[in-house]
Amino acid sequence: MKTLFYLLALSGLILALAACNRDNGVAVASGATPPIPTTVGPVPGGATPPAAHANPFSGNEVALTEGRKLFNWYNCSGCHGGHAGGGMGPSLRDEIWLYGNRDDQIFDSIAQGRAHGMPAWGPKIPEQQIWKLVTYIKSLRTPQEPDPPLMPEQEGIVKGSINSVPEAQK
Amino acid sequence: MRRACRPIFVFFAVAALFVGCNSRSHTSQPENPPHGGVMQPYAGKLPPDDGQWTMPAKDYGAYRYSQLDQINTSNAKDLKLAFTFSTGTTNGLEAAPLVVNNTMYIITSFPNMLYALDLTKPGAPMKWAYDPKPVASAKGVACCDLVNRGGSYYNGKIIYATLDGYVVGVNANDGHEVWKTKVGDINIGETITMAAQVVKDKVLVGNSGGEFGVRGWIVALNADTGKLVWKAYNTGPDKDVLIGLRFKPFYDMDKGKDLGVSTWNPDQWKIGGGNVWGWIAYDPDLNIVYHGTGNPGPWNPDERPGDNKWTSGIFARDADTGEALWYYQWSPHDMHDYDGINEQILLDLPIDGKTRKVLVRPERNGYIYVLDRTTGEVLSATPYGHITTSSGVDLKTGRLKVNEELKPSPGKVVHGACPAAPGVKDWNPSAFSPKTGFLYLPHNNLCMDWESVETGYIAGTPYVGADVKMYPGPGGNGGVFSAWDPINKKEVWHFDDRFPVWSGALATAGNVVFYGTMDGWFIARDAQDGHELWRFKTGSGIIGQPITYKGPDGKQYVAILSGVGGWAGAVVTGGLDVRDPTAALGFANATAELPKYTNKGGMLYVFQLP
Ligand code: HEC
Repeated sequence: MKTLFYLLALSGLILALAACNRDNGVAVASGATPPIPTTVGPVPGGATPPAAHANPFSGNEVALTEGRKLFNWYNCSGCHGGHAGGGMGPSLRDEIWLYGNRDDQIFDSIAQGRAHGMPAWGPKIPEQQIWKLVTYIKSLRTPQEPDPPLMPEQEGIVKGSINSVPEAQK
Repeated sequence: MRRACRPIFVFFAVAALFVGCNSRSHTSQPENPPHGGVMQPYAGKLPPDDGQWTMPAKDYGAYRYSQLDQINTSNAKDLKLAFTFSTGTTNGLEAAPLVVNNTMYIITSFPNMLYALDLTKPGAPMKWAYDPKPVASAKGVACCDLVNRGGSYYNGKIIYATLDGYVVGVNANDGHEVWKTKVGDINIGETITMAAQVVKDKVLVGNSGGEFGVRGWIVALNADTGKLVWKAYNTGPDKDVLIGLRFKPFYDMDKGKDLGVSTWNPDQWKIGGGNVWGWIAYDPDLNIVYHGTGNPGPWNPDERPGDNKWTSGIFARDADTGEALWYYQWSPHDMHDYDGINEQILLDLPIDGKTRKVLVRPERNGYIYVLDRTTGEVLSATPYGHITTSSGVDLKTGRLKVNEELKPSPGKVVHGACPAAPGVKDWNPSAFSPKTGFLYLPHNNLCMDWESVETGYIAGTPYVGADVKMYPGPGGNGGVFSAWDPINKKEVWHFDDRFPVWSGALATAGNVVFYGTMDGWFIARDAQDGHELWRFKTGSGIIGQPITYKGPDGKQYVAILSGVGGWAGAVVTGGLDVRDPTAALGFANATAELPKYTNKGGMLYVFQLP
């Protein structure tokens, strides 16, 4: 039991380190081939996850605003909400990731589609643009998020005031 | 043993709690004589009632009224659980159960299972289950949760449609598939959510997809074989719309050749919406079917100049051939997503001293319309909720008088547009009681902010072009349940609810009306003065349609599916992030609090007297 825990912790550390690396990474022009499919399930025995492809636009502010535009342009917003809070597709703002939140996993979700209704955009969207979409999605809820939603409180939302409490009956 | 007793114990504890509680605040006073509440017992002919429930609204005229009267205003307080059944689903349940030959049939949200329950045995055990195996990718193109609104019984078969575009006929005795017909294509965003409606020997079904640039249509299939009999589109050339020599619209605005083409920019009608995802009524004497048409697409009105025929309107069609006989457009060039697909209740009402064959339509744009159902003439259009987007209907031209100030245009955020996109009332069907002569209306009190944004058509993806934020209207309550007098054209009483009242209504000869709330209460009210007789807290929010039937023991039962969802409940079923107020096409903002009140999960509840 303990060994397994350590193994898991260790692989988590490796993952975190890998993520750090990518965040500092320079914008490398991506190759013609999109990332190989990444695993989304657990790896039996906790082996090292397969090599992750780096996002060439990590930390790139221009790519960020372009990604925001593309999110509307390709109607992602129609399914995932104007600011990715969800609708027909799941929220991309929250902490829950069905298929992983590494850049390459998000890339694959977009490029290859997912079984429960996420279209496969690989044939439609150039690879560079998919990376920009990934960059935008990763920025959600961070101070870098372009065009963030106004919180309902800021908008002075009218809250329901009527109580659904039982009524009198005699 | 102890476990078995618990629900009953809880029930009594809860019931005991209610007795003696004080009335909550609401605008009307149920204890006092209600305003305009003079009962108008209905003089028209009533359909026969055998105590079963074989089609979505129980009858062709869409009354959702049962002549059963064992449950009445004095004993409804004693209602108790008879049996329950888990649907195994976590999406919204909007269907009405069917009851035929002592069997109850339940159609679920995706994956659209059909369950048969044996009413002759204690606890109504499952007889069989039918799984149509819809493809999972259909889930991505369903605009507003994965709902199904029900089906019909015909000649030994249960007939209903699946989200991924099929209509199935299933043997009602053993659950075997008799026929399965593909009518829709999910790759272009076409789904089916409406309740399949049997009319004589045909079954009528239409498509959903008004948010995906899907061209709307309605088909009639042979109910025994599933073979296509006729298909009518709601945009495009007259021949596609089945408009011919017999087409006689009442108003000039609906007259002319190929208006389904000329009221659009070139080719836009091909992706223009006008879907049929709501209710169908049938008049056997006139042999006419009535169905509405959905919103034009995209929502952004600047991208589709013109009246956008034949969207957001109503067609009267020959039931045998589908030929259009008349049409009326509720919202020409719709600017607020006011689909025109709500229920139409067919009544013969005294109007100005004459009995007229009318249809009564509580419409999404905020008016209760009374139309002559033989000609399509609007006899009256009366507001039944808070409206700012229009100021009435011009009865000479038939045209909605749109408020120009709340017209969306690029770069402008429109504030305070009421009703919001789901309208004063959405799909959730009302009921009519011939005893009181009143209509019972579950509905919304919502307004919205709207910003049009540019959008491009990509097949199979949303084609909307609007950032919408909804919120409760004046008073702060999101929903209302009211009684309406269609002859005097006024509200009789109403009760507010925190959330939109997204369930259907049921009226009974015992003068008890039923409906459910999104926070899970199933409520019985006195049909005349509206005072509450009974309520029961179900496990999830209610957006289903209550029904009543006579069991094999000769006793009256009431059934409802509980299971929150639908467009209004997508915030719960989709686990949406309300930090994005535009989530769920803007509905998440109005029901942001709902996850604090209820959780997802589908369950059938059936009630009886002790
Ligand atoms: C037709 C509706 C639709 C459109 C358009 C759409 N998505 Fe999705 N998306 C979905 C659905 C449904 C899922 C969930 C799929 C599943 O569970 O199998 C999903 C899943 C995802 C995921 C994975 C989320 C996770 O939790 O792992 C990402 C990332 C994503 N979409 C991004 C996008 C982007 C970027 C676009 C625009 C290029 C887009 N989507 C367009 C419906 C859509």
